[in-house]
Amino acid sequence: MSNEFNIKNIAKLASINLSKEEQDSLSNDLSIILEHVNALSDLKLHAQQQEIFIHPLEKELELQEDEVKKSLTHDEAISNAPESKDGKFVVPPSME
Amino acid sequence: MSLKPTIGIETHIELNTNTKMFCRCAVVDTDEPNISLCPTCIGLPGALPVPNKKAIQFITLLALSTGCEITSKGMFHRKNYFYPDLPKNYQISQFDLPVGLNGELEIVIDENKDYIQIERVHMEEDTGKSSHSGSGRIESATSTALDFNRSGVPLVEIVTKPVISSSKQAVAYIEELRQLSIDLNISEGRLEKGNLRFDANISVAPEDSTELGTKVEIKNMNSLRSLERAIDYEIQRQTKALEEGVEIVQETRHWDENKEITSTMRSKEGSADYRYFSDPDLPNMFLSEEFIKGVETLMPLLPKAQREELMTTGLSLSQSNILSKSEEWIKKLYVKIFDQTKDSVASYNWITGELQGQMRKANIEVLPEWFNEDYLSEIIELIKSDKISFTSAKIILTEILTTDTTPSKVAEQKNLFQENDSEKISEMISQIIKENKDIVERIKSGEDKLVGFLVGQLMKQSNGSVNPGMAKELLLKELED
Repeated sequence: MSNEFNIKNIAKLASINLSKEEQDSLSNDLSIILEHVNALSDLKLHAQQQEIFIHPLEKELELQEDEVKKSLTHDEAISNAPESKDGKFVVPPSME
Repeated sequence: MSLKPTIGIETHIELNTNTKMFCRCAVVDTDEPNISLCPTCIGLPGALPVPNKKAIQFITLLALSTGCEITSKGMFHRKNYFYPDLPKNYQISQFDLPVGLNGELEIVIDENKDYIQIERVHMEEDTGKSSHSGSGRIESATSTALDFNRSGVPLVEIVTKPVISSSKQAVAYIEELRQLSIDLNISEGRLEKGNLRFDANISVAPEDSTELGTKVEIKNMNSLRSLERAIDYEIQRQTKALEEGVEIVQETRHWDENKEITSTMRSKEGSADYRYFSDPDLPNMFLSEEFIKGVETLMPLLPKAQREELMTTGLSLSQSNILSKSEEWIKKLYVKIFDQTKDSVASYNWITGELQGQMRKANIEVLPEWFNEDYLSEIIELIKSDKISFTSAKIILTEILTTDTTPSKVAEQKNLFQENDSEKISEMISQIIKENKDIVERIKSGEDKLVGFLVGQLMKQSNGSVNPGMAKELLLKELED
């Protein structure tokens, strides 16, 4: 099973560093999860894509009017930031 | 080996709603950072998104106007990625059930129409803005600063099928889409403000190949000039590589405006890397027939129909296209002037040429209060009835753009009415002939060009008030006798 996914790529996309041991152990766990999920493909379903319309909430989506409501003040919004400068949140360097 | 390029374009249109997509924070246009935020748009745990009704109306309107099938049973998905400009670590977007599917947009290049097939129109939210500090190159930045005012602003993404074959077509497509969004009143359509941003997927393959080549995506352009140049550059780069036997790598590239080249940004994520799954915070979205019918009532006259209507007045396709993409007051002015003069070409030329030209030159952004639209019709009629010359008409226009007066008054004050009385003109001609005997002799001996000189003398002496066509005709007749 583990050859169906690349644990290193998954770690990269999640921006986490994994040691060799962690990679092995997580690969193993993920394989077991995938096996369980794979059991679903044994179900004989013939539904069209539009009919597959399942959602955990059996509720219709409600929309809100486009009217401005009071939100956080600038000071409130930034109060928990570990670092800020000139009114902006500052985080470690990140670029595409 | 003959190669052909294939291009697909993804456009993000920022909707001009009052509030954001999933919270009721105001959409603001300011440099002051982080002043319109709430727990939802900065992704604090436990905050729940509720979609903006107007944004859903707007996207439905856009989808209907491009002839898309509307997905009445739709849903929102989470597109997962880790950049600090989206603090939730996912963007709410739509995956396999977008609002609109399989549409088409008519574009115009010169006197030809073309049709660009649209694959999908879906709803999503914008990210915050990041800026990188540190010295020198972006790679050596020491920190990233974030402003989340834009985070959560409603964005529509409209994706074409890979059917575009040149940069010219791509530009015409964006111009059409921009005008459409302005006419639908869903966006301000201001490219310089980033209201429309586009990515181009470009590939090159042998002419006779049924398969597309490896696609390269150029991200985040917001000017037509960048789009055109980036596409041309990329087609050239890929063509050269293929001719030299170098393999094209599927990747995302960045257009460098200053160097005028594209360069590698990152290797391209596949959609599997985004791990789309339906957003458990947002129940499925049903667009009822009643809702869709309500949106249909908001449909204005679309650019395509505007062109057709303008062509019935006698304008060509390209002229109609230019007018349909002009500001609203210009379109209205044309209709009014045409109704009065029934002269489509003169109305078009005066409005798009002389009027706009003079306004630009004099830095006039809006017509002055006293400027009655009938004045332009009056000018056109005065020229047609030979009462003023074209040159005088331009002088009159300059005057009425800056002074509260009328064309006839200006013509009278500045003595610009043409002399059409043949007897009076003949008298003046006799005088000119008398004063220029040597020139007349030279004309008679074959120097035809000098006729122009005599007409010029006549215009000068009459202060330009003589009808030049008539003057030339009478002068030639006089010389023959």
